[in-house]
Amino acid sequence: MALKYESQVRPPLVVGGKDYHQVTEDIVRPIEAQPSRLWWIGFLISVALLLFGVYSVYREVVYGTGQWNLHKTVGWGWDITNFVWWVGIGHAGTLISAILLLFRQGWRTGVNRAAEAMTIFAVMCAGQFPIWHMGRVWMAFFVLPYPNTRGPLWVNFNSPLLWDVFAISTYFTVSLLFWYTGLIPDLATVRDRAKLKWRKYMYGILSFGWTGSTKHWQRHESLALVLAGLSTPLVLSVHTVVSFDFATSVIPGWHTTIFPPYFVAGAIFSGFAMVQTLLLVTRKVLSLEEYITIEHIEVMNKVIVLTGSIVGIAYLTELFVAWYGQNPYEMWAFMENRANPFSPYGWSYWLMMSCNVLSPQIFWFRKMRRNITVTFFMSVIVNIGMWFERFVIIVTSLYRDYLPSSWATYYTPTIWEIGFYLGTFGLFFTCYFLFSKFFPVIAIAEIKHILKRSGDTYKENMDVVEKKAVDEVYEEAHAAHH
Amino acid sequence: MALKKFVVGVFDDEHNLFNAVRKVRKSGYRLHEVYTPFPLHGLDREMGLRDTSIHTAGFIYGLTGTSLAFGFMTWIFTKDWPLNIGGKPHFALPAWIPIMFEFTVLLSAVGMVLTFCYVCQLAPFVKKHHFHLRSTDDKFVMVLDVSSGNSESEASDFLSGLGASEVNVQVAETGWWLGTYDREQKLGLSREPSH
Amino acid sequence: MTTSKEFFEVPKRYKNWSYGLIGIGILALLVGYFMYGASDDIHHKSRFWATLLQNSTYFLLTTNAAMFFICATILAFGGWQMVFRRVPEAISAAVPVIGVITLVILLAIVFGGHHMTHIYHWTDHETVANDKILEGKSPFLNIPFYIIWTVLIIGLWSLLGFKVRKISLEADKPMSVEQGKKYIWKNTVWASLYIVWFALTVMSTTPWLWLMSIDAHWYSTMYSWYTFASTWVSGLALITLFVIYLKNAGYLEYTNKEHLHDLGKFMFAFSIFWAYLWFSQFMLIWYANIPEETVYFNPRIKDGAYSGVFWFNFIINFLAPFLIFMKRNSKRNYTTVTIMSLIIVFGHWLDFYQMVMASVAPDHVEMNLFDFGIALGFVGIIMLVTGRALSKYPLVSKYHPFQKESIIHHT
Repeated sequence: MALKYESQVRPPLVVGGKDYHQVTEDIVRPIEAQPSRLWWIGFLISVALLLFGVYSVYREVVYGTGQWNLHKTVGWGWDITNFVWWVGIGHAGTLISAILLLFRQGWRTGVNRAAEAMTIFAVMCAGQFPIWHMGRVWMAFFVLPYPNTRGPLWVNFNSPLLWDVFAISTYFTVSLLFWYTGLIPDLATVRDRAKLKWRKYMYGILSFGWTGSTKHWQRHESLALVLAGLSTPLVLSVHTVVSFDFATSVIPGWHTTIFPPYFVAGAIFSGFAMVQTLLLVTRKVLSLEEYITIEHIEVMNKVIVLTGSIVGIAYLTELFVAWYGQNPYEMWAFMENRANPFSPYGWSYWLMMSCNVLSPQIFWFRKMRRNITVTFFMSVIVNIGMWFERFVIIVTSLYRDYLPSSWATYYTPTIWEIGFYLGTFGLFFTCYFLFSKFFPVIAIAEIKHILKRSGDTYKENMDVVEKKAVDEVYEEAHAAHH
Repeated sequence: MALKKFVVGVFDDEHNLFNAVRKVRKSGYRLHEVYTPFPLHGLDREMGLRDTSIHTAGFIYGLTGTSLAFGFMTWIFTKDWPLNIGGKPHFALPAWIPIMFEFTVLLSAVGMVLTFCYVCQLAPFVKKHHFHLRSTDDKFVMVLDVSSGNSESEASDFLSGLGASEVNVQVAETGWWLGTYDREQKLGLSREPSH
Repeated sequence: MTTSKEFFEVPKRYKNWSYGLIGIGILALLVGYFMYGASDDIHHKSRFWATLLQNSTYFLLTTNAAMFFICATILAFGGWQMVFRRVPEAISAAVPVIGVITLVILLAIVFGGHHMTHIYHWTDHETVANDKILEGKSPFLNIPFYIIWTVLIIGLWSLLGFKVRKISLEADKPMSVEQGKKYIWKNTVWASLYIVWFALTVMSTTPWLWLMSIDAHWYSTMYSWYTFASTWVSGLALITLFVIYLKNAGYLEYTNKEHLHDLGKFMFAFSIFWAYLWFSQFMLIWYANIPEETVYFNPRIKDGAYSGVFWFNFIINFLAPFLIFMKRNSKRNYTTVTIMSLIIVFGHWLDFYQMVMASVAPDHVEMNLFDFGIALGFVGIIMLVTGRALSKYPLVSKYHPFQKESIIHHT
């Protein structure tokens, strides 16, 4: 067996002197306990929001897209903004589980399960917008390429909107599979502890008959690794394809080659912010502070300042090249419609800049990164900023087109547009509340896997290794292999 | 469906386990399986399990996806119904890369997960014989097959001697679908970790 | 106890090789100068200076990527690379040397102006005065700014790199856990400074100034990130080559196939990343089909003179690493990894070749011994400087807090 050692310079990832059994106890406890009053309040508010959303969508389906304030030139408004925003949020989960798995970042084990769940719910919310935006939603299956009686007239494979259909549905499916295969062993843990009959039965079904046999673990590990390898380019591709929706078109402010990586960075940025928002609450309510420690929060804040700065570099690049290119239309889109604070939508550009680029810079300071209040506040600010990024891209590029006579009046959403957006919040949080009640919010098996390397009590015992000379450690590791 | 007899040894610590597996395999007992709450790296090799080739399956599924997407789009846009879209050539390969990629990933992932569930016989409503309830919590459970030859008391003593904190004898049905224990594994020689 | 060789002693053969390669480079420079540089034909002169531009910037950015590797792993709290970290450190010692050479070449091109070469059109006052677009760009594309910024770019890379290397030496002395924490903190501070400067240069302004301004009318927001990806992969390949060389020569005892495997993974992943940026830039320009933008790809695809180079470049930089590094065993095989690293270093050199040459001389490809000679000269310089840097300090920082993690590292 390989030596379990990690430098003591690294802070422990699990504190409170846990052993394997205690890990199970702590994480499964919320599932076995009655939900708290706070849970019920949150859950009911979410359901209420969801119902309002359902009614808003009902209005739109029955009376048509006229229920929204989309009009000439601004053909995409809140709906597509919300779509891109939710898809972006849906990036952190798979990033945490896939890319960080490949980069072997141990801290991901504390947060990956909840982040993956969040990803799936966010993609579900995102999917609503293009679907209902179709207007005649009963024709939605037209987006699928199937032999039909219209020729057969096929879908347009050259269209980025169709790429979106493939990208989003693939992403949803693969994320779901990745998440669920990871859940199976943990669900088996819940099953085997269950005292109540219905719980045993339900988790028996959900856990697919998992036993924990070594052969199964071997395949499970291999599967997780390949799924991570597949998901990594997949995450990149999804927001890349979303960015293609804009960048392939010849519209000033949209057609720019940096869009793909810059959208991806922005997606990770907003996704991590949402993970922070949810986990700060989850760890408190379910008392999981010993698993989602301040170290986890600090690391995620570092990711936020990194991705925020990448996004900042991209904003400046865009702005600079709009000037550098000396193309009058492109310059107008940036300098007048966006960067001029006195133009009708100038405020939204500067709101975006200050929320996404300036404010995250406070995370250069360690004190700020480790301050929970600041972190929570910032995580909300970042998501407001990222919402405005999409709003800026979509609306400021559309509301004044090439023909000044058709320049739109100021675009504001109707109550049903807002209701639809709020409804997706309802959907998201309803799902998250149910998840946090019925599923282990932390990957139990993965925590156990790192426990003897990164748990606080085990780390204290590493003094022995820490005192040895490197040569000695090398000799031992070498001898253990041969 | 014949019944089989097993001796089950429960270990509290994974550190003992590696040693125990090595000794069991040397002593000639039939090692049925080891159940652990989380994956133990190197245990599969110690037990002599062959490497899984599930990733190769994934590669083949992925390749199928790429070719299907490519072939389908090529046929539609160059043969079945060629359309002039923005003056682009009918064979507009750059525009098809995104869908080809997504379809590759989709087929590869779905195919692999289904394969995984099939080879491990995992599905909703599947029930398997569970040798110890805490093997998904904090115990490491080693199971020896004693239906032929070895005496169960001898095997029990052997396991206790290796450090098992609890030993018992269980009877379960053979077969590997719906309601029994896991499929028999062919164990090879135990191998050193590869370098 | 095994006798692990602590210091690299530069072998005679190694020295001879590096001097030999530098000799070839100088010879190529002289021959090239008389063949092209001293010619009256402006196309010949441009070709001469463009080759120098391509090679110097490529090798400068590639050696600088070694420092990026160090700083990125510092910030990610990586431990696995510790057993061979002195190798990228030594490679980054070549940054000031190649930086000075690059500076001289860039200054010569800028000052030589339109009479010497047709590389930077924006250096010519007459052209700019008659060209509204270039005139508009002149607050950025002008000689004083170019020089100041270039000096700053190279100077700060060298200085910050020097500082990071210096901090690394502190890990040759024992330290307690508490001191270790402080030490890591100090590393983080300097590494983040380097990364910030890196973002402001390599990921934005540097490629715009040095390379994109060759096509003074053309622009692509992706250009700098693309250039970064290209040199980052080749930097990784360069690190790998030196690691394997030292391993073969009996040094770096702690380094084993696990570390090689991870280097292979990095090359695999970032080759895909490079291809992703390549595709995104190409596809968007192809799709929108705007003449101002497609002008860049015209000499490079279809009937253009450089289409062979262009597609070959894509094959060896993407398809080859993708297919070969996909298998676990090939990332753990010293021979395969060596060959692939060589291919990658050459491949991205070729990428720079098409980036520079197809813009300077779009009508015909003229790749000959002159180009290869200059490239070999730079390789010789890198070998010489890196070899010297390696021999000065212990090859392994024995007391670095993450050193033991790196030793027991398992993929």
